[in-house]
Amino acid sequence: MKPVLEVRGLGVSFGVLRAVDDVWFDAEPNAITAVIGPNGAGKSTLFNLISGQLRPTVGRVVLDGADVTVRSPHLLQRAGMGRSFQITNLFFELSVFENLRLAAQRLESKRRMLLPVGRPGPARSRVDELIARFDLSAKAGDLAGGLSHGEQRRLEIAVAMAARPSILLLDEPTQGMSHADTLDTARLIRDLSRDVTILLIEHDIGVVMDISKHVVVMQHGRKLAEGPPAVVRADPAVQAAYFGHA
Amino acid sequence: MRDPSTVLVRPVQDRLTLAMRASHVLVAIFVALALAFAAIGVAIDDTFYLRLATEALIFSGLALSVDILLGYTGLLSLGQALYFGLGAYVSALVLQRVPSFWAAMAAALVACVIVGALAGLIVYRVRGVYFALVTFGLAQVAAKAVYNTRELGASDGLIGIPVVPVDLGFGTVQSNAPAGFFLITLGVIVVLYLAVAYLFETPFGRVLIALRANERRVPFLGYSPRAARLAAYVLAAVVAGLSGALYPMLRGFVSPELLFFSTSGNAIITVVTGGVGTLAGALYGGVILTVLKSVIGSWTPHHLVVIGLLFMAAVIFLPKGLMGLVRPWIERLLRRTAR
Repeated sequence: MKPVLEVRGLGVSFGVLRAVDDVWFDAEPNAITAVIGPNGAGKSTLFNLISGQLRPTVGRVVLDGADVTVRSPHLLQRAGMGRSFQITNLFFELSVFENLRLAAQRLESKRRMLLPVGRPGPARSRVDELIARFDLSAKAGDLAGGLSHGEQRRLEIAVAMAARPSILLLDEPTQGMSHADTLDTARLIRDLSRDVTILLIEHDIGVVMDISKHVVVMQHGRKLAEGPPAVVRADPAVQAAYFGHA
Repeated sequence: MRDPSTVLVRPVQDRLTLAMRASHVLVAIFVALALAFAAIGVAIDDTFYLRLATEALIFSGLALSVDILLGYTGLLSLGQALYFGLGAYVSALVLQRVPSFWAAMAAALVACVIVGALAGLIVYRVRGVYFALVTFGLAQVAAKAVYNTRELGASDGLIGIPVVPVDLGFGTVQSNAPAGFFLITLGVIVVLYLAVAYLFETPFGRVLIALRANERRVPFLGYSPRAARLAAYVLAAVVAGLSGALYPMLRGFVSPELLFFSTSGNAIITVVTGGVGTLAGALYGGVILTVLKSVIGSWTPHHLVVIGLLFMAAVIFLPKGLMGLVRPWIERLLRRTAR
């Protein structure tokens, strides 16, 4: 199958520091690809390179067969890339409903940019669908800033996928969650991967190994290993670097 | 996770829409009061207060443009006087040659779109304090340029703007008719309010609101924050310019003071007193400030000190402004009647 996202030799240097160095991998359609690695391994920097917030020094990013390497984030979004943030990044003073509606309004035709927001249409039905799927119907009218941490993390994912991206980048979606919430979220992400390709950064190795199809291990900005979870887990170099025992 | 098709999603009352409806109610009350005022003015054959109120409405229009940026897009402009003055000067120049209300308004509109877009190419790159400083700087440059241009009357401004007949299709009102021109001005300001209020209820306007709420997320909705900022800036320029275009029709002259910082500053005070992010607050604030200036100005020459103190009191005791205090109450009423 043709990969949705191809990362080809991506790298960035800050002065003499090579934060990300020659990283290659593909994300297969409708599956979860996970990037793991200890703190400072360059996972978030890699994500920022892929999603257009940082410009890579070398390498290419290919989305659905098109080179999107130096596109700015809003153009990448239009090309089909959705992303969530490690530190919750919502419109806190707007309602849950409006957060989702804003995120979904690109589904409407351009002509409707200057027509009232209240009318039914693709954006409105997408919001209703997401509210149900992410179990937020009781909170739809509440301000995003008033939600619990777990609810905000769920909304964060829902906002990222509202415009039906072809790939969803999730940056530590279970960050700061209780164990029970983490398991729920892992199940949710696995369900989502039936409809959308997911690239995941995760700290919680247990979560990653259970739901991912493909795992990329990073250390010191470089790719240390990659493969199916079982293969990666058995890799002696990964065990030494990440699991702390050889 | 439950299957989406089995879960009934209750229709959500959109908070932003509800707040805007509450603003509509407040503006409807404002218009009713204004009409009553005009009726009384005609009955007692008043000129002074009708013309003072007309001036208040014109400055309300400038405040409306400040609220587009400050209250909805989250940008503090310290130079909205640039467009108010631009509209006023362009209108005056047109009226000196062609005595047509519509030509003057159209010319002010075109001038503000062009200058707003050009200045916007500088301004849209920055936000926060830098946005405030750049808008301030641009307005100062424009004010100095006008002040030193003989063809524009330099420090005297342009005087002797002729009375202009306002052709409304069904009849004509002269711009020196106190009640008639008050109603024309009221009409223009209400149309500007309705246009702006409408825009904030569209996906376009909601992107501007998103910019205020969290600019960092806006690119990930698929919109360029800079493009959105430019659009808001030009929109505000047009609203300020169309308000300013009415000024020479009322007063018969324009002067460089219209471009000075005091004009921009007063508009900000107006919005803060009336209620930031309510639109209605700009209209009420304009009237409150003009009345205060006039009334206090007749007691003491130091009326700016009094205005300053009142402004500080408003910020401390009414942080959301007058409408910020009243509007939630109307929102509750509307929510109850909607059930």
